[in-house]
Amino acid sequence: MDALQVGSALQPALHLPFLPRHLYRAASSNERRLNFWRSKELCLNYIQDALLRKQWKRAAEFLTSYIESLEKDFSTEYMGPSEIIWRVGTEILCNHSPSNVREFNSFIEQMKTLGVKRYLKVCLEHAFHLLCNGRIDEAYQNLSLAESWRFGERTVTQDKEMKLIQAYRGLLDYYSWSNKKNILLEYEKDGFEDMSVEQEMHGFFRKAAVNLKEIIKIPGVWDLFVKSYVDLLEFYGDHQEAREVLTDYAYNSKFPANPNAHVYLYQFLKRHGAPKKSLISALKILHDIVPSHELMIDFNTMLQKSKKRKRRRLGLEVIFAVLDYAGWKKNVKAWSCLARQVKQIVISEKHLDWIKQEWNSRKDWWPAFHFSRYLAKSNWQENERLSYEKALVAGVLLGKDCKYFKYVSHHGCKAQVKKFRTLKKFVNKHSSAYLSISGL
Amino acid sequence: MEFPGVLFPSYFGCGPPKDEGGPAPAAGWGERGKVLEAGPGQRQVLPPLVPLRGHEGESWAPAEAAAVPLLPPNMGCWVPTVTPRDILYHGILHRKLRTGRSGAALDFAKQLGHFFVDHPEDAFSSLGRLLHKNFHLGDSRLRKRSVRDTTIRMTSLVENINHMEARRGCPQHQFTSRLRLFSHLCRDWLFEVPLGLLADCVHEELLLQWTSLLFDDSSTGGALAWLPPQDASSRVGRLVYPGGLAMNHLYFQDVVLEEQPRARGLPVQFELNGRIWQVAATRVDGQDFVGVRSDYHCGVWRMPGKTGAAPSPLQVIHTDVPASCLTVSPYLSGELSVCTQSGAVYLWNIETGLQRLRHDPQTLFFRDHSPWRWSDFTAHPRVLSCADRTGILCLDARAPTSCHFDFFKVGEEAKCEQGERVVLPMYLGRAHPCQHLVATQFAIYLLDERLPLVPVLKWSHMMKAPPLFADIVPGESGRSHKALLGTSHTQELLLLQYTGGSQKACQLAGPPQQLHSIASCLPHLPTQLPHQHHLLHQRLSIPAAGLAAVQHEQGQQESLLVFQLSEAGDVFYQMLRHEAALSPVPDQGDEAEPAPNPNKEDEAAAPPSSPILFGSEEEEQEEEEEQTFYLSNLEVIINDEEEEEEGVVATPAATEEPEPQASPKSVPDVPSAPAALRYRRWLRALLQAWMGSPASSCRSGPPTLSQRRLFTRKELSEMAPSVLQQYQLQLRQAMRKRGRIQRWEPAPEPPGPPPSLEPNALSARLTAAWRGEWGAVGPAGSTLQRQQALRERRRRQKRSRAHRSLSASFTSSITYQSELSELSEGGTPRTPPATPREVAVSSPPGTPPPPPTEILLSSQELRSRGIPKERRRTLRDYLSVWAEGPQDPPEAPSSITVQRCIPSSQSQLSSSQSQLSSASQPRRKRPRMGF
Repeated sequence: MDALQVGSALQPALHLPFLPRHLYRAASSNERRLNFWRSKELCLNYIQDALLRKQWKRAAEFLTSYIESLEKDFSTEYMGPSEIIWRVGTEILCNHSPSNVREFNSFIEQMKTLGVKRYLKVCLEHAFHLLCNGRIDEAYQNLSLAESWRFGERTVTQDKEMKLIQAYRGLLDYYSWSNKKNILLEYEKDGFEDMSVEQEMHGFFRKAAVNLKEIIKIPGVWDLFVKSYVDLLEFYGDHQEAREVLTDYAYNSKFPANPNAHVYLYQFLKRHGAPKKSLISALKILHDIVPSHELMIDFNTMLQKSKKRKRRRLGLEVIFAVLDYAGWKKNVKAWSCLARQVKQIVISEKHLDWIKQEWNSRKDWWPAFHFSRYLAKSNWQENERLSYEKALVAGVLLGKDCKYFKYVSHHGCKAQVKKFRTLKKFVNKHSSAYLSISGL
Repeated sequence: MEFPGVLFPSYFGCGPPKDEGGPAPAAGWGERGKVLEAGPGQRQVLPPLVPLRGHEGESWAPAEAAAVPLLPPNMGCWVPTVTPRDILYHGILHRKLRTGRSGAALDFAKQLGHFFVDHPEDAFSSLGRLLHKNFHLGDSRLRKRSVRDTTIRMTSLVENINHMEARRGCPQHQFTSRLRLFSHLCRDWLFEVPLGLLADCVHEELLLQWTSLLFDDSSTGGALAWLPPQDASSRVGRLVYPGGLAMNHLYFQDVVLEEQPRARGLPVQFELNGRIWQVAATRVDGQDFVGVRSDYHCGVWRMPGKTGAAPSPLQVIHTDVPASCLTVSPYLSGELSVCTQSGAVYLWNIETGLQRLRHDPQTLFFRDHSPWRWSDFTAHPRVLSCADRTGILCLDARAPTSCHFDFFKVGEEAKCEQGERVVLPMYLGRAHPCQHLVATQFAIYLLDERLPLVPVLKWSHMMKAPPLFADIVPGESGRSHKALLGTSHTQELLLLQYTGGSQKACQLAGPPQQLHSIASCLPHLPTQLPHQHHLLHQRLSIPAAGLAAVQHEQGQQESLLVFQLSEAGDVFYQMLRHEAALSPVPDQGDEAEPAPNPNKEDEAAAPPSSPILFGSEEEEQEEEEEQTFYLSNLEVIINDEEEEEEGVVATPAATEEPEPQASPKSVPDVPSAPAALRYRRWLRALLQAWMGSPASSCRSGPPTLSQRRLFTRKELSEMAPSVLQQYQLQLRQAMRKRGRIQRWEPAPEPPGPPPSLEPNALSARLTAAWRGEWGAVGPAGSTLQRQQALRERRRRQKRSRAHRSLSASFTSSITYQSELSELSEGGTPRTPPATPREVAVSSPPGTPPPPPTEILLSSQELRSRGIPKERRRTLRDYLSVWAEGPQDPPEAPSSITVQRCIPSSQSQLSSSQSQLSSASQPRRKRPRMGF
């Protein structure tokens, strides 16, 4: 028992990828296979080193020696030499002679025959390479070929790869479809019809729709496919289906919380003139998961215009939340939204408690985060408008003695800018608002 | 804060990672990942597609052949790091360990032994005091009867122990029954601390040492920080790093960014009472806040925005459990987050104090035994990320218990592998406010806070050790961000580029690039004597302790400066130059050989404005001189133990594990002149410091050598006791005076028969042995040695014959030449040469010319000198060997009499050709077996 415990304690705290080189010397008396293993490993190290130093030619030379390891591939490891050769060879070819697609193709064709388990993956990667080099047709052929491949029962991974292959083929079909669509639209403009083009287009639609529909059912991030599929559906007027797809993509709990899913839904709803209520609810959910999303500015504007008190309240919450984030710190638009709403509230002298509530959770860190003297100086130097908006907010929230407000209004007045004078007057006039916000 | 309109497709799943094999050696290569349209497609044309990986990146080429020292070496740090050899039994680790099937065997018995020898008072004092009357350790027999009854003679037991020690590591060795019996008898009562208890403690400690040798997370985050210049026009930044004897001093060093960065002035220094593990720094409102973490203390310093202002310590906190993380808020001044190994996460504000956000000794998502915790800031100043080995959680500091979300899970969500664990999370706020980098031992993940759980980028980094340090150099206006990853033990350094995050999805740009490790500068340092090379090798391959990177512009040239810190406290840097995109990524191996810098040793080759690293210009001029002085003034250090270490000293380059060095043609081959100058200065400072350090004095003391191995009992007894005593006396006197033994006044000749050769040989061997040259002397010895001498002789005969036939008049010098060439053929000399000075003294002028050696060689002569028959031949061989070399240099006026001392031919050699002596001597000092 003790020995067992000791044994486990002797294991590294972390499962290490490679036992550090300085920790082992060659085990003394082991058979030839070990030597072979060692030299293989050494060769791989050389290749790795050359690759990491961008010496592609040198790496290629080592790789030719490494190919010998295929002859005695006893390994039961997950990644055998054939996979290594595929990976390393691809890397070398991509970087060393990136434009030579023919060479690349012949290499990959050989690699495809090396392992059954990896066939689909190699095909997919091959297609990606061709796509990146603009060889759409070749890539399409490759994908179709891979799709028709059958070999016994597929593993889970292979299943996923196959779905991805189909999806990408669907995507290429979609591209062809949109090409044809554009041609047709131009024809229509010119006033004549072409049945064959139209039929081709519908053919592409069918092929694309089948494949795309398939993949977006599986949990994942499928922005590209969802967008294409929705575009297809919208063109043929199947808004119901499109809406379902988008709603499912956004709200299905099995899917990751992808902000884009909500954005697509919102955009779709907006395109089709959905009622404001549903737009707001879509954005409200987006606000809940990503309060710092750039759509929140639109959301705030939308809410501010609303007549309902509850929505205006939400608008204030949204804009305060946006400005919590470091990425919005210097955004004039966001600050002017907040300044406008704060001004509105202060002038109307109603709902000062809204500001008070929002301010409560922020008063201990916003002054240092947004309204420090250092920031006043740099904001004033970099962006006068930003400093104006911020000074207004600071004046209301922190009173006229706040460092930020004092610095900016002082410099603004000195620079003879009229709006700063009115700003000063405004803040002085509504100093009571500050008192009620700060709870004094 | 835009979010990319379209993300790269990926599957999403929940649950534990799938068992799909394991770490793969080349998993990071060759994949495109997925493709995505680059932008809105124009009408009629398909949108261009871009890959997740394999997109073209910027080209950064290293400006130097290796890392270059920035600051003088950290003087105090000589404590050698623990090596596997110290704690493992036999030091051999089998391949099984890699697969995790078996562990290593800890040699705790050795450690116990060390403890008993080094601290006998602590180990045995009371019983030792009680029993010392009853144990007899002397050679003599016990006379008194009364004593004999109560005393045990331990001499033979000690001898047995010594013999066993000598055969340590021998697989055949067996314990003698007597030893076994003794240990069995006294195991229970002899020790001050019960043996079982002590062994338990030692074993526990060894286990800790071993696990930390495999993976040590205490230096996570790195202890090197760069404080950028206060304004764009100024070029002076600051480097914050630990140093000193125990890495417990904190230094703030001004560094000027020029063609080569250089230190300006002396560093501001603070002494802390703990080893510094992590230094973290950020700039808030124009002020730099520097957080420093040691085991039980965390401190914070402020660096005012004004140039030339001194850093001031602000606050220190003390923790009961070691802290594992300290990060500084980039938003609010004086705010930090601290994690301890008990699982607590604190928000530390200098004004308001500590606020505990979370306390959970359990890990987040599944059970893992590691107590390591980390925490960092996020895009929201009140939201902190809390990490352990299983994942990352984000929580709101205002309502930590209710407001939180899972940010990263080791599992199917991020397509992790089995056994994968979070090693280093880092907030990349400087590049993009929402991005985080998460490194595991297999891969790096780029995460966006707005899309938790799904990494926007994943790449298998293939590093040999888990990356513990990272830094980011943000790329402005659409350029790629550069992320640097560093490992500790293997000193790897990887540069990655990625783009995107706001408008476009994140993509990895260009292939990853390996930067120089600290150890890479070893071949570029001036050639050293083996033991110094060994020291240097040790020093340079100490694990890394931190990294920092900065991008700056030098005129039109953009450069990326990477600083590295080693655990010894040495700071190195390397520069990368940006190469504007000309053509497809150039193959650096194909490029023409870089302009070589043949006279790198030449001081004049340095540009006139070459920065001065650690010294004034006068020093610079003296450089050459001192360099040679060093070489000539080396102490010969020959150490028994070192030799047993399988020739670590012998051929330092050859015995090292062949590290993959596939780059004989990497960009610059030779360090530039300023770099070479820095190398030499650094080396000089290091060696100087080492000479004065206690570490060197304890290692380079006079060689200790057991007499027993030098002379047999018979040999000693053959000698007249009076002569022996005399020699002993002389030896002691010389030792007391710290004088040279070779200066002995010749002992008064005993009247009567001519002195036998035996004592002479003995004295010569004693002399030589004292000087550390025992390997060179001695006709008497094992047969192996004789054979060696014979073989050598034959070889030399052949050679000298060939030479002589060519030009007889240059015999002597040619012989030296041949010796030299032999030396170079035979590999690196095993032991360093003696100083010529010492040798030169050994030839008093005006001694009579040597008698012809032929006389000695005749057997009658030998017999007449009373040399036993079986030794005559050896002696003859031996003498003839020496006789051949400097055959008869008639012009050599100074030579010593052979009568007195056999290796006189050696001194003759050196005196006649003193400049060659240092090179020709090591040959003779080659240690031989059998002594």
